[in-house]
Amino acid sequence: MSEPGHWFERDPLWFKRSVFYEIHLRGFFDGNDDGSGDFRGLADKLEYLQWLGVDCLWLLPFYPSPLRDGGYDIADFFGIHPDYGTVDDFRYFVDQAHQRGMRVISDLVMNHTSSDHPWFQSSRTDPAGPYGDWYVWGDDDSRWSEARIIFLDTEPSNWTWDPVRGQYYWHRFFSHQPDLNYDNPEVQEQMLNALRFWLDLGLDGFRLDAVPYLYERDGTNGENLPETHAFLRRVRAEVDARYADRVLLAEANQWPADVVQYFGEGDECHMAFHFPVMPRMFMAVRREDALPMIEILESTPPIPDNAQWGLFLRNHDELTLEMVADDDRDYMYEEYAKDPRMKLNLGIRRRLAPLLDNGRDEIELMHAILFSLPGAPVLYYGDEIGMGDNIFLGDRDGVRTPMQWTGDRNGGFSRSDFEQLYLPPLMDPVYGFQAVNVEAQLRQPNSLLRWLHGLIALRKEHPVFGLGTYEALRPDNPRIFAHVRTYEDDIVLCVHNLARSAQAVELDLSRWHGFVPEEMFGRSRFPAIGDLPYLLTLAPRGFFWFQLRRDESE
Amino acid sequence: MTDERELIEFVRAQRWFASRTKDVVHARVVDRAVLREDDPRLELLLVEIRFDTGTHETYQLLADETLDALADPRHVRELVSMIRQSIKLPASEGVVEFGAVSGFASELRDARPVGVEQSNTSIVFDEELILKVFRRLEAGINPELELLRFLTAHEFENIAQLAGWYSYTGRQMDATLGILQQFVIGRDGWEHALDTMGEGAGEFIASARRLGEVTARMHSILGSDHSDPGFAPEETSAESLGLLTATVDEEIQSVFLELPDDVPELEPIRGRGEEVRERLRVLTSVGGAGRVIRHHGDFHLGQTLWADGDWVILDFEGEPARSLPERRRKRSPLRDVAGMLRSFAYAASASMQLRGVEPQAGWELRVRERFLDGYRDTVQDSLVPTGTAMDRLLQVFELEKAVYELRYELNHRPGWVSIPVAGIVRLLDEEIPG
Repeated sequence: MSEPGHWFERDPLWFKRSVFYEIHLRGFFDGNDDGSGDFRGLADKLEYLQWLGVDCLWLLPFYPSPLRDGGYDIADFFGIHPDYGTVDDFRYFVDQAHQRGMRVISDLVMNHTSSDHPWFQSSRTDPAGPYGDWYVWGDDDSRWSEARIIFLDTEPSNWTWDPVRGQYYWHRFFSHQPDLNYDNPEVQEQMLNALRFWLDLGLDGFRLDAVPYLYERDGTNGENLPETHAFLRRVRAEVDARYADRVLLAEANQWPADVVQYFGEGDECHMAFHFPVMPRMFMAVRREDALPMIEILESTPPIPDNAQWGLFLRNHDELTLEMVADDDRDYMYEEYAKDPRMKLNLGIRRRLAPLLDNGRDEIELMHAILFSLPGAPVLYYGDEIGMGDNIFLGDRDGVRTPMQWTGDRNGGFSRSDFEQLYLPPLMDPVYGFQAVNVEAQLRQPNSLLRWLHGLIALRKEHPVFGLGTYEALRPDNPRIFAHVRTYEDDIVLCVHNLARSAQAVELDLSRWHGFVPEEMFGRSRFPAIGDLPYLLTLAPRGFFWFQLRRDESE
Repeated sequence: MTDERELIEFVRAQRWFASRTKDVVHARVVDRAVLREDDPRLELLLVEIRFDTGTHETYQLLADETLDALADPRHVRELVSMIRQSIKLPASEGVVEFGAVSGFASELRDARPVGVEQSNTSIVFDEELILKVFRRLEAGINPELELLRFLTAHEFENIAQLAGWYSYTGRQMDATLGILQQFVIGRDGWEHALDTMGEGAGEFIASARRLGEVTARMHSILGSDHSDPGFAPEETSAESLGLLTATVDEEIQSVFLELPDDVPELEPIRGRGEEVRERLRVLTSVGGAGRVIRHHGDFHLGQTLWADGDWVILDFEGEPARSLPERRRKRSPLRDVAGMLRSFAYAASASMQLRGVEPQAGWELRVRERFLDGYRDTVQDSLVPTGTAMDRLLQVFELEKAVYELRYELNHRPGWVSIPVAGIVRLLDEEIPG
């Protein structure tokens, strides 16, 4: 039943054209009234997701876990956390999603496990036993000091002393997340078994969390090591050999030149997130300057034909500023995190709408830019209705509050008692569920939700956005971000005004002399491209997308 | 290899080609199966048609030395014979599988094509069996096969029994290629209505009640099996009405955005898009919405037969212009009811347009009432809302249907545009129930 091929036309490159939608299962919809979202609840909302038009759902980890890191601390790779349902519920959900034309990928953390995982418990209590060598142990905590500490706010070291085993164990993230030892072939094999287990249940692929850190080597910072790439090639080969049309999406928060290594020669991951482009989009709209985006895209190396970038505005983590220079980071903090509570590690823990001061024009502009860039856009649940955040909740919970379905009790998320909810829904007058919810926005023709639905539909009509070439135009007016995408006979010109004021721009479109730009949302034809530079005027934060059509009357 | 130009020209000239308004730039055979090696050779082709923006659609062609082998009775008999034998044949990439469901006459002699069809090609054998060849292919089971199987298994008698099917499984996709059904001899419901529009209208008006009952029974059965997730009726969710509003509203918006300037029949609605959307918003502020179930999906008089004093319901494919996941969606059964109500309006208009016969006074209203009476009295109560909520929801679906018709007629039959236009105007003028 859940063999995905049954419901899809075969297309190994489906992910290149797709719009992804990231879901925090716990926060999406509560199907059994216990205050926590689950697979049955998610299945009930597929109708909505099908309408929205997204192609692939990405689920945050749903495995058994003590939930000290939102489920990224996995305690069993072969099960479902009881709060979310059963393996049967999972299978049912995946099958229902497939029948509605949507694929499903899920997070998988290969780098580490929860310290509650039986493997770790066995490893610490029985060093000579079967799991003794499954983690990275050391007698002192001085090795690999070149490796940076990622969770600066909580972790003093990448080593933590285990009094049970009497040794230090290595962890690149929280101290309750010991790193697996990939030098042990049994670890590699078991991780492949976990992948196969979920793929056999019909899952369409994985977002591979924290992928750069699988191995440790002396004299290195432990990131992007050749051994890590070799293992990913092995994973890819296993997947390709047994499964059709699946995707591996790498989370590697690195510079583009390092990230492209994760595509290999088209033989590692199918996709990788483009982390550095995201903060530069936020910088560009604050500074009213297209240059940061143009530069980062120019410095992005080409990728294999069978690979794709994953692009996003926000996700379940903090808005990461690891991939910007120090002065740019200061700028971002100053502009976007005026309250120190908004900062977390090297980032800002806020949702899209509050980051943009709930400016509708800004939210639309950012989505337009995101959707126009070469890559597959990844939306974060709730951002399609402009949900807010709660910076008084701990860690990243502030951006993981319940999805706001209606203006009713608990925002329509759950019929449980308020006290039972895993997190309180937003109730403030601006972003609270009474002001911001799916039901109301479905009924309002001019809502953000309805606008975004139209944007998604438009993108799907034009594979050029996923498959086409990208060429930046560099007009004299630096406030204008303009580029041309081309695929087969489809030529699309995207022009975005980053400024808070109306702008005029002259574009050199001489290569398309005689073509007629047709605005893609309203289908209005603009004057044909002639001998002079093409003059456009744009409203504040306005944008145009044109299809350049050959003038048939000529 | 089959010539690309020839493929494009052939496909573009076919009635069943769905995307007349798009520019075709490429065509290629993505898989082929030799169904018969010996003379006369018969091949099945899956052809991918690519449009200028890089999107594509896949079509089924049957070819001998021409691309139109279905015009030759020998070939179609061969297809039926393969269904009867339930054989499997390899294609270059995939497999073509034939399956027989129930017994049928071994000897097939006469084969005649069915004339008026939009999206498929059908051939009738000896007035006993009918083979429907699906042309545009999409991944997944075709709703027609799915619903006929379900209705047969649940002993709904007012259908043409399924006799067999054939399908493709392969790299490109899994898809239903065609179905074989009993051929029921009867009067096409549409013709039946038009034939009796003048003097003999009483018979049809009386039979409308029965049509309502049969429709209701079909819905009650389609919403009866809670054990089959594909068919289990579902409560409408909190945002169901919102989704419905958004779906219909966007359809209205896009149709009105693209109204051509040079069609005078559009004058009564030109510039009234916002008014239509406002009406929709008022109508969708109803209370309950009943349940959602699998339903017919493209229900109108042309999908019915009047045979031996009862109605037979045909063609469970859904609206061909919608994608397969969309057609398989569970929605309110009132969509079908509204489809039939729109069809009565079509018949009344077509009577003048096609036959020059003025319908008997009050024909449409009386037929509507009888049909709705029969439906209300028979349908499983939990499936539909009650009272004015039902009336409003029906108007929403009538509006949705009329807008769909408008787009369809503009693309395919400009001469018929005035019918959905009149339907939309009437819904605007009508009082809001409640």
